[in-house]
Amino acid sequence: MSAHTNDATDPDDANDSTDPGDPDDANATDGPDGAALATARARLYGLLAAAFDGETEAIAEAFERDAFAAVADALPIDGEQAIPDGDGHDADSLAVGYDTLFVVPGSHYVPPFASAHATEPSEEFESDSRYHTAGEAGELLGDPAADMAQLYAAAGFSPRRGDGIPDHVAACFEFMRALCEREATLLEDGGDEPAVDAVCDLQAQTLSRLGWLDRFDEAVAEQDAAEGVFAGIARLARTFAAWDASEVAAQSDDRPSDTEHA
Amino acid sequence: MSADDSDGDGATVSRRDLIKAVGSIGVIAAASNAAVDVDVDDLWTDDEHHYVGDEYGEYDASDVIHTTCGQCNTFCPVKVQLADGSGTGEYSSLVRKLAGNPYSFLNTQPFSQVPYGSDPEDVAMGDVEGSGDVDTDRWSLSGGRICLKGQAGIQTAFDSYRVRKPMKRVGPRGSGEWKTVSWEQAIQDIVEGDDELGHPGLEDVWGYAPKEDVMSDWEAVQNGELSKSAFDERYAEDLIDTDHPDLGPKSNQIVDVGGFRRNFIRNRLWHQGLGSINSVHHAGTCGVSSVMGNVRSHAAQKKRQYPDIDNCEYLIAWGTNPMVANKGPTWLAPKLTNAIEDGMRMDVIDPRLSKTAEKADTWVPVEPGADGALALGMARWIIENDRHDLTYLQNPSQSAASDDDEPTWSDATHLVLVDEDAGPKARAGDLGLVDENADTADDFVVIDADTGEPRPASEVDTAVLDVDVTVEGAAVRSVWSQYRERVFEHTVEEYAEMAGVPAEQIADIADEFTSHGKRAAIMAYRGPAKHTNGFYNTRAIATLQHLIGNYDWKGGQITPYAGYDTMSGRYDLGSVPDGRSPWGIPLLRGGINYEDTSLFERDDGYPAKRPWFPVAPPQATQELYGSAADEYPYGVEALFIRPYSNNHVMAVAGGDEIPAILRDTDTIPLIVASDTVIGETSQYADYILPEPTYLERWENFGTYPNKRLADEKISQPAVSVVPDARPFEDVLIDLWSELGLPGVGEDAIADAEGDLWPLERAEDFYVKLAANIAYDRDPVPDASADERRVFRESHENGLGDQFDLDRWKAAVTDEEWPKVVTVLNRGGRFEEPAGEYDEAFGEHGHDYDYAERARDSNAYDGEHMRYKLESRVDFYSEVVPNGKHSFTGERFDPLPKVDDVEHYDGTVQAAVRGDDDRDRPLRLINWKPRTQGMHRTQNSPWLRETRPENPVWINPRDAEERGIENGDEIALDAGRETVDAVAMVTSGIRPGVVGAMWGWGRTGDGATAETIDGETREAVEADGHSDYQFDEPMTEEGGYAKGRDAGFAINHVQPLDEELGDTGLSDLVGGSNAQYDAFVDVERR
Repeated sequence: MSAHTNDATDPDDANDSTDPGDPDDANATDGPDGAALATARARLYGLLAAAFDGETEAIAEAFERDAFAAVADALPIDGEQAIPDGDGHDADSLAVGYDTLFVVPGSHYVPPFASAHATEPSEEFESDSRYHTAGEAGELLGDPAADMAQLYAAAGFSPRRGDGIPDHVAACFEFMRALCEREATLLEDGGDEPAVDAVCDLQAQTLSRLGWLDRFDEAVAEQDAAEGVFAGIARLARTFAAWDASEVAAQSDDRPSDTEHA
Repeated sequence: MSADDSDGDGATVSRRDLIKAVGSIGVIAAASNAAVDVDVDDLWTDDEHHYVGDEYGEYDASDVIHTTCGQCNTFCPVKVQLADGSGTGEYSSLVRKLAGNPYSFLNTQPFSQVPYGSDPEDVAMGDVEGSGDVDTDRWSLSGGRICLKGQAGIQTAFDSYRVRKPMKRVGPRGSGEWKTVSWEQAIQDIVEGDDELGHPGLEDVWGYAPKEDVMSDWEAVQNGELSKSAFDERYAEDLIDTDHPDLGPKSNQIVDVGGFRRNFIRNRLWHQGLGSINSVHHAGTCGVSSVMGNVRSHAAQKKRQYPDIDNCEYLIAWGTNPMVANKGPTWLAPKLTNAIEDGMRMDVIDPRLSKTAEKADTWVPVEPGADGALALGMARWIIENDRHDLTYLQNPSQSAASDDDEPTWSDATHLVLVDEDAGPKARAGDLGLVDENADTADDFVVIDADTGEPRPASEVDTAVLDVDVTVEGAAVRSVWSQYRERVFEHTVEEYAEMAGVPAEQIADIADEFTSHGKRAAIMAYRGPAKHTNGFYNTRAIATLQHLIGNYDWKGGQITPYAGYDTMSGRYDLGSVPDGRSPWGIPLLRGGINYEDTSLFERDDGYPAKRPWFPVAPPQATQELYGSAADEYPYGVEALFIRPYSNNHVMAVAGGDEIPAILRDTDTIPLIVASDTVIGETSQYADYILPEPTYLERWENFGTYPNKRLADEKISQPAVSVVPDARPFEDVLIDLWSELGLPGVGEDAIADAEGDLWPLERAEDFYVKLAANIAYDRDPVPDASADERRVFRESHENGLGDQFDLDRWKAAVTDEEWPKVVTVLNRGGRFEEPAGEYDEAFGEHGHDYDYAERARDSNAYDGEHMRYKLESRVDFYSEVVPNGKHSFTGERFDPLPKVDDVEHYDGTVQAAVRGDDDRDRPLRLINWKPRTQGMHRTQNSPWLRETRPENPVWINPRDAEERGIENGDEIALDAGRETVDAVAMVTSGIRPGVVGAMWGWGRTGDGATAETIDGETREAVEADGHSDYQFDEPMTEEGGYAKGRDAGFAINHVQPLDEELGDTGLSDLVGGSNAQYDAFVDVERR
């Protein structure tokens, strides 16, 4: 068991039959149970949030369980980094990789937050930073951060992940995880429709702000060409988020919305 | 975002597949964020109201007045935001909020101020282009930075214990009983005297005769040309003592103790109107020994040591705490933290781990008072390791320095006539090197390194450092030779022993200090200076900077006193037409040697009865009361005090001895206080006159040399809280008019054309002062009609009926008025960091370092500061040895030195060079609290809540020996006094040293009951509604203020001078009152 886990999060708990996310429960119904799907999405977002927050113990454990491979199999991923492969890496070596890619602003640095990948910088300004040229990408805490912070504020959510940077990929995924968990709870409790709608609406808004994951994924692929572990996870994240965005949109289409009548 | 598959349709993936796949993840990553709680019950993303406040009071420039804070002596430019339409009580307006003034660079750090030309309306609304938006920039320059003390200024102005009417004592002085009288009555009593209290009036005690007349007649008496009896008869009404005419006129026995507004009150009214030399400020209770140590170390004006923080690579903060004090909180603190972030190393030398020391790379807890030993130890290491800047030191003059791109030069190579009494430096004319009438006759003499010949300094490029020769029959030694010899009197190890700092650490600091070229600097102030050896300690520290020649260099030591004209220009405010020239021996005996006075003979030579301060200004305020009691050199007939800035009972070491002197009506027959509250000192007055607080009156606080740009702050009345309060200027104008003294009334102020203007109220002076500021250099732009409307509206809003626009306007010409409005609307004048700033600010915004990056920076001139010291710096002071110790007659030392802490008669209080004989083992130090300004702010419950008492810091080692734990109640035994206190056990203080903040232990200002017109106001009890106890320092969660009398008064446990017995110890060279030299013991109660 990793140092991060405790009794409440013992992996064995995942097989508890009361867990609404238990795949067996999902199979027991005609279609995928909404609560089970929400729980599954929450877990995947949670794992991705941990991965991009540098929690390499969690990544290593996921590889041990072949979790990434299983998810990648289920998603229509193509290309060289199709399936994340953690062979030959333990938590320590992954930590080195993580730091090189996402922490230390060196030659392989890929800023893990949206503002740096914004195609339209928030405003033109001359900067002292050698990592930022006026009018080009590379901002910190630009408009995307403000947008995400506004969403968090709307939900009364304070990200624990992402180093206090609201548009950090780990913070965004952590938020999605929380929203999905909330959706699952609401559905289990009988599905208070306006509340579910509100949560799903917030999910849709959040996902609509994750378009930058495409550019992020490409940047990681370029910088992580050698080992490719994080390139694989980034690809998985991008693909899953895209899939989820279309799912959320589809679900939303299926539901009558209060706002439509407004 | 997109999936990577060709059709891009991620939705084709089965939801069931995903659920199944994710099943393998389980809850791998659940641990770290299990507590995330999204409460969607409160979810809001629409425009509906969700219990989030969205109502706010709109305000604009007509609700804003820019003025100056007076809560502490930093005097920050501030913005007073008035509460619109609130003038419904006795007061003219409430104050909604106090903030920093965004026009000033002092209060907008680390950002750049708004351009001076910015429209006040745009500034108030945060609409200046480039000033940022609160929502996206987290900063908006509609208001600048202010500290907690500044914010609490509202509670100073609106204190319910304010003095509201003129009051006359009932019963003996200090009885605590008062009755209100009219202004007319008070003025009449003070001028004419009062039988009820039995005091004389000013007209009874005042007398004046010009020095020239008196001394010419005195000479005639000496020559037998005039009889002594004729002399006595001629001057009996005018001189203090016709046997000792050098004491001066009787006007000298009318003494002003105030401090600020000195241009108006001291210069105009006291000196030139009254003809009294005795107008005293706070210097002796403050860091005057530091000021004088610096003054004697530099040929041009330099009173303080400040670094160019923005470019400094290594900073030593020495006995000063700029995160909290020394003009620090709003201005220097952000600069320091940013500089540290940017890689500056800062070491802090202080017996206590101050807020600044907390941020330091290395904390050096020096033994109190042994700073000189530490500095000379560093000097020895530097010289032994050849780390001093030889090129700099060998430049003997400005021309030689200029060739090396050095704005300053030193006296290191200058030759001293060592056989002459006071050891003056040799001049070229004296030694016969040039003709006595030659241009270079007054040049210092050096040995030319090229020829080995003595020559005038200005003709030599490189001079020899070590010289000990005879020139034209005169024995001469170079300054360097003597300084070096002084430094080498002890080894680094010996200095280390004295300073209580390891020799390796001395080496480390000295090494670091000399490893950054010119980009290393020292900031020093009270810590080394507030001892009887404070002057020499400061000299030792100052000369360390001579060794690297860091003056005027970017990142080095800076001295920009840059400001704008205040007292001259459009109006000659400093001169009183037909005014008097004050003369005579100052009551505080500064600037004159005892043996040069007629008292020397009268009193049979040395020792003098009380100390003299021959090379310091007459500002050793700690001597005032004992001198009055001893009538030495003469008695005080009338004392006027403004204790808001000079509350001596609290501020003087041994101030607890003052009340007994003040109570005695024979000692000082008339005492008049102008005060905002009944304070510790004013409670012993015969009259207390209600004084406006700083938010209600005019003032012009001087600028400080810790900034790169020029500025001039102006205070103006923003609100009127006590309708009957009158600024002391106005009261004095009335008194002076009654007495027929010059400087007030009609024809009192001359303009540049020589036309005369009246001085009837304070604004007649200060509006003209604003005009002088406005017209200096390039005059400020005229305020537009809109801006003038804003000015009128804001002052009407703030001052109500008390604002008389026509009166203010009448103080200057119609042409000047729009420029005066420009200055007043901005609270002064503040230089912009670069040329064409307005345009640049719009483009680059507030978060841009214009001073550093702009081509036409106003701060820098290449690698140098734009405002420079540009003078000689002195290892050896010619002035100091002209002064003699008034107890022994020994000359003071021209060089820095290690000295013990001594009483007036030479008894050692604290030894630095050897051992002393102390009854109690712990050295007591003190410091300015982060939450209080002087003794002015204990009336603020906001501030008392943040820190309700002053605990005694004690090292765990000392605490353990005494069985004391954090929070224990203790008795602090200072010998003559024992007080109750609370222990704060912390490793943040040097073992063997204990200390506490000053500002507590009050008895005035609502701390004790007051009876006015028969009604008693009880003392302020604890604020809040809990029996909150301050019993465990560092652990309190706070929230409740104790009474205004909480804690103990640090100055009341200071030792008294053994010879004098009525005040604390003094530094006779620098003039400071010693405040860190008490020895105490503590025990658990």
